[in-house]
Amino acid sequence: MKKLVLIVASLLVVFSACAVALAQGYETMPEDALIIPLGVEATPYDFLEPGVRGGTMYISTITDAKKWNHTTSKETSTSLYTSQMMAGLTDQNPVNGAIEPELAKSWDISDDGLVITFHLRRGIKWSDGTPFTADDVVFTFNDLIYNEDVDTSSRDNIQLPDDTFPVVEKVDDYTVKVTLSMTFRPILTQIGVGIMPKHKLAQYVHKLNPDVPVGTFNEAWGLDTDPAELCGLGPFIVESYEPDQHVVMRRNPYYYRYDANGTQLPYVDKYVILTVASQDVSLLKFRNGELDVFGCRPSDVPILKVEEVAKDFTVMVAKDKPVLGTAWISVNQDVGLADGTRENLRNLFRNRKFRMALSHAMDKQTMINNLVNGLAVPQWSPVSLMSPFYAGRDYYGGPITETNAVIFEYDLDKAASLLDEIGIIDRNGDGWRDFEDGTTVEMEFNTNVGNTVREGAILIIADDLKKIGLKAVANPIDFNTLVTKLLSADYDFVYLGLTGGTEPNSGGNVYRPCGTLHAWHYSACEEPYEVEKRIDELLDAGVATLDNDEAFEAYKEYQITLAREDLGLLYTFNNAYTYVYYNHVGNAQVAGPLGSPSSYYGLTWDLVFKKG
Amino acid sequence: MKLTGLRALVVVITVMALFSLVGMGYTVAELEDIAANELIPEISAAAGIALADSYADTMTEAELEALAVNGRTIGLRTASADALAIQYRAKTEDEIMAILKGTADPMIRAAAIEPALIYLISTTSDAEDFSLTDYLKDIAINGETHEMRLAAAKAYYFMMRASLKAADLEAQAVISDSAELAYAAGEVLAGFYLSFNPKTQAELEDLALSGESEGMRVAGGIALATLLVNSDLKAGDIEVSIVSITGTKSAEYRGAYITALAVRYGS
Repeated sequence: MKKLVLIVASLLVVFSACAVALAQGYETMPEDALIIPLGVEATPYDFLEPGVRGGTMYISTITDAKKWNHTTSKETSTSLYTSQMMAGLTDQNPVNGAIEPELAKSWDISDDGLVITFHLRRGIKWSDGTPFTADDVVFTFNDLIYNEDVDTSSRDNIQLPDDTFPVVEKVDDYTVKVTLSMTFRPILTQIGVGIMPKHKLAQYVHKLNPDVPVGTFNEAWGLDTDPAELCGLGPFIVESYEPDQHVVMRRNPYYYRYDANGTQLPYVDKYVILTVASQDVSLLKFRNGELDVFGCRPSDVPILKVEEVAKDFTVMVAKDKPVLGTAWISVNQDVGLADGTRENLRNLFRNRKFRMALSHAMDKQTMINNLVNGLAVPQWSPVSLMSPFYAGRDYYGGPITETNAVIFEYDLDKAASLLDEIGIIDRNGDGWRDFEDGTTVEMEFNTNVGNTVREGAILIIADDLKKIGLKAVANPIDFNTLVTKLLSADYDFVYLGLTGGTEPNSGGNVYRPCGTLHAWHYSACEEPYEVEKRIDELLDAGVATLDNDEAFEAYKEYQITLAREDLGLLYTFNNAYTYVYYNHVGNAQVAGPLGSPSSYYGLTWDLVFKKG
Repeated sequence: MKLTGLRALVVVITVMALFSLVGMGYTVAELEDIAANELIPEISAAAGIALADSYADTMTEAELEALAVNGRTIGLRTASADALAIQYRAKTEDEIMAILKGTADPMIRAAAIEPALIYLISTTSDAEDFSLTDYLKDIAINGETHEMRLAAAKAYYFMMRASLKAADLEAQAVISDSAELAYAAGEVLAGFYLSFNPKTQAELEDLALSGESEGMRVAGGIALATLLVNSDLKAGDIEVSIVSITGTKSAEYRGAYITALAVRYGS
């Protein structure tokens, strides 16, 4: 009898151990687990540290999700959650922006650059334990993204410049072949869409299951779906949802990323995402200790600094990783072209030396100090400093040298000399510079009313222009009116900004002569300057190679040409990235503006951890 | 008495343990002892601040309210009031506003100030001409109690922070429409002195001691506290400093040292 009890007890222990193992996913590290070398020297992650498992992170958002379906999500309030549930073949490194293998462990590219063969990680499972295979990849592209019945913005994102789509084919369970009609380097970024589980979702796709009506997939995985039905490959899965209250996400027990110590990621067991009324409420909740991290704004910094030490948190103001995007002055080189008026001004604006003079008259540091309390960096290139293709950094091909620097320093004397040189001088002694015919050079300077930073910027610039005898009348106007003026080339100077990414080619609609936002010189589409033709060629060269070093060389010349020769847009400054986190959050310093499927306002969910 | 080898070892271990304890910070019992028995009020108050989290976790609202009003020392009253502020975060807007506007003891009303901020900045209205900042400013001037006015003043400057520069705040910390507005301007100004418009410790000491208004002294005192916390000063050093300034007229100056000591105590 005693023996029997012992056997039963032993079996119970074994069953318990198995249950624990199952609950935690893989019993051993999968064959092709992705190792994130946290704290390992000479890697992008050397400034981070391996963490410890456990705990709950609290963050906030101001809008509820609309669904749990990543493919059909169109708003960040939804993708905040769905991007945590899914993963793609490739992903962007959150530290340096490089495109790296994710679900694909590697890829081969044919000599002509038209065929990319992705080798998938073996041994990886969906969060419900189902094996991940090439069938899921083919399903995602061929049955969802390319399926006209599916309402997804991913289709536009993956379309090639010649309007074709990459052909995705299964070679075997762990190999996928992607065939392109043209060489297009950004494909490695764009192919990184979230892969969806065929075993869960094929039933909702009409072409695979004619029993369901067309469009059924668009309603799949709505907010009323039982969370137990959801599954993914990403670090977290939705566990529960209370409208206007919170979403709880639990760790994926089969997540395929591990740290260098062999600890499975994510470190944190759960995320609780509170839905709050506003960013200001989030700030107060952070100060109360109800949130662990917060994507603060520059205006929040003074308030947070008061409590930073006493409450043991860190206010991150990272000038070395400014936010993506551009802020610029557009000088309308087609002013008056439509009705044949203002020829003097048009010729002046088309004179490169005039635009050089303007560049020397822009006191970027004063703008930064006075308008954003010093929390910004001067900008000279349209490519974000965080992009691996930014000409001033050394990720691909090495940095530009000091002698290659293309920044026009603030120097009103140089600006005045350039104006003198082109014959724009004060001819009647009234203090204002005149054209050769004696009329005063005068231009209107618009930005959108209500944006206090932009309003302040145009006042500072107009004031400096006044010092060198140029009359620029600052006039903030309604945003929609401003955009209409910009797009119809009906303006003199406009101060505005554009959002941006890390791929320079995404600015093609702005910088190509026929780009829809080439708003400073629309006539370039018919009569491009030589320099504009060169910019067009360089943008082509940047995507026509799959070699990142070659692409860097093309983009480096592109940036320098734009800034030194073209001077189409005159850049001002980029805001510094600001973030705040309690010091009990390990690896929170990884936060940065490189938004990617693995980040929340720059916070990389699977790498942070709760310190003991 | 001669120590045997075993007894000597026990003594050594005990001494080491005591040093370890000091190195690890203060226990709740030690903090309670300081808060309840320390004769110097600033030190007692610092211990009270450090105790708040523990009290919030272990005492009921009724117990805390009683202790906040009738606590024997400033330390016990501070611990209870700060703990109440934590517990009050769970109260509804109506409950919080009732406390702020009511006739409860000022210590209890003060505990409702920080929890009220979320409600005050979230206030909405159907009125076309409704301006939240005007509304908050009006309460900051005409609110029923000092605590109501102070909560509204804090909310007002919270909402205005993006459009104000240090020079604006310096002016408003001196001359304002109510004492509470000037006080709240000083609080935000302290943040500027710690970030965009940094001042030296000597300048902040001077400001906290003899700034020309309460608002300016608040700015100096709050910013000074951060520098003290960031310094190499140990708890004992700060206690010594407090002994020497305990009779100092400026509450804001003393407040800086109280805050710094509270952090050293483990708040």
